[in-house]
Amino acid sequence: MLFLSGRLIVQRALAARRDWSSRTVYVVASAAGLLLFVMILAGSYAGSRTLMEAHAWALLWSIPSWAFLIYLFTDIFIAFGQALGDLYLAADMPLLITQPLRMSSIVVAKFVSGVLQNEIYVATFLVPFVIGFLAGTHAPWWAYPVALVGVAVFPAMLYAVLSTITILALRYIPAQHAKESLWLIGAVVPTAFWVASFSGIARASGDISTLQLPNAPVWLPSTWAGDLVSSLAMPKPLDAMVWFSFLLFATLVLCPAALAFISSTFVQGWSESTTVAPRTPIVRSRFVQPALPWIALFRKDALTLVRTPQLWFTHITSLGFVAYLLVGHRVQTPLLPLTVQLAMVQIGFVAVLAGLNPGMTALSLEHASIATLRALPVRSLDILRAKFAIAWGQTVIVISFGAAALAYGYGFDLGGTLALLAFAVLMSVVSVCSGLAFDTTFPSFAWENPNSINRGVRMVIPFLNGVAMLLLCAGMLGAARVLLHGNAGVVAGLIGSAFVVAWMASAGLRKALLNIDCLEV
Amino acid sequence: MDAALVETDQLTKRFGATVAVNNVSFAVKPGEIFGFLGPNGGGKTTTIKMLTGLARPTAGRARLCGFDIVRQPLQAKRIFGYVPDEPQLYPKLTAFEFLNFVGDIYGMSAERKGQRIAYLLDLFDLSDQADGLLGGFSHGMKQKVMLCAALLHEPKIYFLDEPTVGLDPRSAKLLKNILRELAAAGCAIFMSTHIMEIAQTLCDRIAIIDRGHLIAMGTFDELRELRGHHSLEDIFLGLTGTPAERGLARSL
Repeated sequence: MLFLSGRLIVQRALAARRDWSSRTVYVVASAAGLLLFVMILAGSYAGSRTLMEAHAWALLWSIPSWAFLIYLFTDIFIAFGQALGDLYLAADMPLLITQPLRMSSIVVAKFVSGVLQNEIYVATFLVPFVIGFLAGTHAPWWAYPVALVGVAVFPAMLYAVLSTITILALRYIPAQHAKESLWLIGAVVPTAFWVASFSGIARASGDISTLQLPNAPVWLPSTWAGDLVSSLAMPKPLDAMVWFSFLLFATLVLCPAALAFISSTFVQGWSESTTVAPRTPIVRSRFVQPALPWIALFRKDALTLVRTPQLWFTHITSLGFVAYLLVGHRVQTPLLPLTVQLAMVQIGFVAVLAGLNPGMTALSLEHASIATLRALPVRSLDILRAKFAIAWGQTVIVISFGAAALAYGYGFDLGGTLALLAFAVLMSVVSVCSGLAFDTTFPSFAWENPNSINRGVRMVIPFLNGVAMLLLCAGMLGAARVLLHGNAGVVAGLIGSAFVVAWMASAGLRKALLNIDCLEV
Repeated sequence: MDAALVETDQLTKRFGATVAVNNVSFAVKPGEIFGFLGPNGGGKTTTIKMLTGLARPTAGRARLCGFDIVRQPLQAKRIFGYVPDEPQLYPKLTAFEFLNFVGDIYGMSAERKGQRIAYLLDLFDLSDQADGLLGGFSHGMKQKVMLCAALLHEPKIYFLDEPTVGLDPRSAKLLKNILRELAAAGCAIFMSTHIMEIAQTLCDRIAIIDRGHLIAMGTFDELRELRGHHSLEDIFLGLTGTPAERGLARSL
């Protein structure tokens, strides 16, 4: 089992290295990760130190549980996808199952390699938070190694629970349906959680010294890990050791045992998921009206989008983000006065996020069928036109709805609403175009499920590009507001932003066109 | 004498230091079924990829009906149908939707497209599955849909990479009959296969490629005369295998 785990980890590391041979991508991704690490560390340190100096003890000690809870609900989707991908959709599973290996060894080995991959997120988000928090609260030196071990084992519990749920769900629900609908649940649950909890926090009132976050659910592993960090920071060594022992026991004993026990169920579910089930005819489409090549391509992609729930998650989370802005409005406005420009930047950020996945997967979603497409007499321009239309079309529908909702919630007049809509549309163009340029430069046609190509290094560069463009446009909006005031400032900022977007979009699309032209399969 | 429909001149493809296809030249005339044989990794699929515009030649050129596949890709692609070695279809489209999509790309009229789709689905016994998602199809059914797509716009040239893999005996026989009819109608068929019986009985001419080099080309009788063997299998092994491999094959 140990040997198999080791081989799987090496194989995964090698696969990542072979997929991403470009040194630039690694440098940019590592730099972005480091920047994020430093920002979280500094924020956590400054925040906990400020609360400590203000003697806001109740608020201070409730923060770790909430930080871990937020991480848990953000990571839940990633870990679920990983559990599904590692077990049911793994390309190496048929080979492993036919080898003289115990099923429990395969499941546990997959579990170990999956957890280790998840540690990247822990190292980027949780480790700087914990170090900053402990430093800000002047925790003793021995608190650091204990806290870091506790944090490192935390994703194992999450992954084990999700693997168990996945195995059980796919044992009783037909895999073809489950693996699609579970993605939706995986997107909806964290989004609803974020909005609901932020709404709760936003309604909290009182003096900072008496303010306290609502109690985090005690049955969640995030609360155990959070309580460990709080106990270490107080410091309460005995409490900390109890939580630490409990975390280690749950991770090292309970999780592998539960997985090994449930592995027999996995074989049955896997076997059923790989059996070709007779598909119910879903449409009786007899639409034979001739269409231009790019419209035919667009129609093909639209049908795929409608029939693939995995592809909707990005839009659900985008709308969730709008809801989060609306409920956070009460907290934010006293700190940062609400202006049309600020709302434009907010919806612009949502647009960057919303357009990211559709853009950067537009060509890669062709999967192996790219060979069929390339052998057809279709111009690269038509391919690009269709890919832009489908990626931008879905983004702009969602983001327009989000912009309208935000404008309504913020109480803007028609002018403000139109400004929000226009800026959201501009930012969605930026996001989709940079995604297209990146996806056509580094296409990935060998994925196991459509969501796996959205994760990791691929995401970083187009995201940073989108944020950089947003900051540039935000600078223009701010400058125009200072120089012109009122509606004239908004219009001038919008016009300036439109020029930036037009320049970036044309550069991105030109690059994408060139890439498609040169694409060899 | 009819002009060749497929013509390659010193076609070469390099991947770094590896030469996958080296100075390959041949011509396929109208009405000819051209068998392209070779061991695994010999250069068959790479050659077909260059002929169909999926890969760019490093050197040399390929013309289809006089159109250069690199310089005039759209004109060249309009006149061939292609069946890859693995049927690569869109899993979320139905068989009908996929064929409709292919018909649109070829610019077919609604009437002709509708007629051809119905005819081909019926021919390959797929009418009942026309509204099923391709993701649920077996390998053989996908291969049949791919054949329907290649035949849909009635091209003059067909590139078939291992077309009988995954087909049941009835469909394989049907395909062979279709290919003979197409050849009789003046189409050029370029087919790679590992099944010697198919190459021997179906192909008018045979070319053998090994390690990127075209090592033999001619009719079956010409190859037999040249190598002094009786079956195509012996000729193939004699040309592509080492003496040790030939001995091993005999002992097995």
